[in-house]
Amino acid sequence: MDTLLEVKDLKTKFKTEDGTLYAVDGISFSLQKGRVLGIVGESGCGKSVTSLSIMRLVQKPGEIESGEVLFRGKNLLKVSESAMREMRGRDIAMIFQEPMTSLNPVFTIGDQIDEAISTHRPKLSRAEVKARTIEMLQKVNIPAPEKRYGEYPHQLSGGMRQRVMIAMAMSCDPELLIADEPTTALDVTIQAQILDLIRKLQKETSSSVILITHDLGVVAEMCHDVIVMYAGKIIEYGTVEDIFYRPRHPYTRGLLDSIPHFESGQRKKALTTIPGLVPNMLHLPKGCRFADRCSRVQSDCRQQYPSLQRLRGSHKVACFHPIEDVRKDVSISSEGGSQ
Amino acid sequence: MSEMLLEVQDLVKSFPIYGGLLQKEVAAVKAVQGVSFSVRKGETLGLVGESGCGKSTLGRCLIRLLDPTSGKIIYKGRDITTVAGEELRELRKSLQIIFQDPYASLNPRMTVGAILEEPLVIHNLYPNLKDRTDRVRHLMELVGLRPEAYSRYPHEFSGGQRQRIGIARSLAVNPELIVCDEPVSALDVSIQAQVINLLKDLQQKLGLTYIFIAHDLKVVEHVSDRVAVMYLGKIVELAEADELYVNPMHPYTKALLSAIPVPDPKAKEKRIILTGDVPSPINPPRGCHFHPRCPMMIEECKAAYPDRKMAPGRHEVCCIRA
Repeated sequence: MDTLLEVKDLKTKFKTEDGTLYAVDGISFSLQKGRVLGIVGESGCGKSVTSLSIMRLVQKPGEIESGEVLFRGKNLLKVSESAMREMRGRDIAMIFQEPMTSLNPVFTIGDQIDEAISTHRPKLSRAEVKARTIEMLQKVNIPAPEKRYGEYPHQLSGGMRQRVMIAMAMSCDPELLIADEPTTALDVTIQAQILDLIRKLQKETSSSVILITHDLGVVAEMCHDVIVMYAGKIIEYGTVEDIFYRPRHPYTRGLLDSIPHFESGQRKKALTTIPGLVPNMLHLPKGCRFADRCSRVQSDCRQQYPSLQRLRGSHKVACFHPIEDVRKDVSISSEGGSQ
Repeated sequence: MSEMLLEVQDLVKSFPIYGGLLQKEVAAVKAVQGVSFSVRKGETLGLVGESGCGKSTLGRCLIRLLDPTSGKIIYKGRDITTVAGEELRELRKSLQIIFQDPYASLNPRMTVGAILEEPLVIHNLYPNLKDRTDRVRHLMELVGLRPEAYSRYPHEFSGGQRQRIGIARSLAVNPELIVCDEPVSALDVSIQAQVINLLKDLQQKLGLTYIFIAHDLKVVEHVSDRVAVMYLGKIVELAEADELYVNPMHPYTKALLSAIPVPDPKAKEKRIILTGDVPSPINPPRGCHFHPRCPMMIEECKAAYPDRKMAPGRHEVCCIRA
């Protein structure tokens, strides 16, 4: 498989009055063509900053300190701002959590999608651009696209606005789509529509997707591979089956256990919780950042940070005392990624 | 079976919209459109539904933060729909609420101690300062806040800790019924689990009755004994939590349940994907409110709102196709 994106030892820091904090602290991963990669973690773990760093959209006081972001082999952190600008939207597109704040309230949605298309395809005539916009609106299942073309963002519902964002992002056939919590602000029935749409478009265009979310259900449903982040670091990486059936990091296990399940046997029992809180990013412990909340902690965990170690296949974990491999399922190896 | 604590009969709440030159009432947002149910002492009733279905409005009407337009609320055999003044204030000791946003519902200029003391002062409980402080310290311990927190301000706490402060505040006056309005929606999963466990612990210790409002069906199922599903101001289905999740009867409940992403990569159930959005509560569709989006719709659904049907096992549903 072709590697589309490779991130190497990326570090993004924020200078604050109280000191410098590393929101993303030396992470490395790669993404193959046509795959959907999920990045999960709790608020403040650095998942959004990771995506912004890839797009080079980190704003002051944030700054990418070091590392490489190789997109088709080219280091995005080295290209000029104008070249980067050309690539944004054309090669890598992004959709955000809150579609209302990412759309301009004073332009019609037609104008805004037109702009995205004509910026990257200056040779198209106005009529051609409009035709493409309407085609995109149709593709994202917006009813009466000709009529919606002339409407403003406030006239649309939340789900519709997110569809418009997706239409805009996909209008130039990007190879990589970064979706940052695309359904967090939406109701479940609308979320199901949007996820279905992203999945359909991803298959049709065989683009790669990075899906950032805190919802493990969404990850299980959408992704082939998963990164679990904690306090700026990748603590576990694997296929979706690795992460959900054979989690090795105590934090991943804890996250999975703290979701209420439907199985009636589990009901009414107290939920398993992860005690304590996420550490302060300005005063990180010396060793493993999860040590204070971990049930398997031993003295070496507090001495140094465990590096990401390869286990089986692509499965990696950053833990000195990982949970034992519970490989009961025999059919696993034949299933490479869901859907 | 324990005693009936709260009974709601045909409750309606609409918010008028004024317009035109004379600012006359031109329309109304019909947020709650005739809801009936009852809650027993010590149980948790879950209220689920999507944004705008009226679940929060209903919750607020129940504890009289909003005045219902019509209908009746009976608390411990007494009609509280129109009580006012001193009587209402007295009532507030028994009926409390926990809000969604722990950032917006705490006064940033008050210390935790002052926040927790305020309800005691207002209701003139523990007139002796020493007793009051003891009570506040006891409340903090009850919800798992450290004693140092007493003199700190809300901004010094994380979301989960703030929600604990909100919970302690609602417990201060020893209420019987607490409306929990999306208490964990703003929290991360691992913290969410801590707060849910705390709420359940407190319920057992103090014999509380909860009305638990949330849009997350997994959370509601976990905490509730019975669950009511709302759509556009109406309860479309009400049943024991287990029963509802195993045997949903209303097509909306079915769609809602199937729409939840399951944290299991192999669970590729057949998903019911509803088309369109929730209609506006200013102008709800004729007949069954759900018919424009319903995959099982027939002609009769457009004619009149379906009556409530009783299925075995105290399972209520409003659908002619169920």
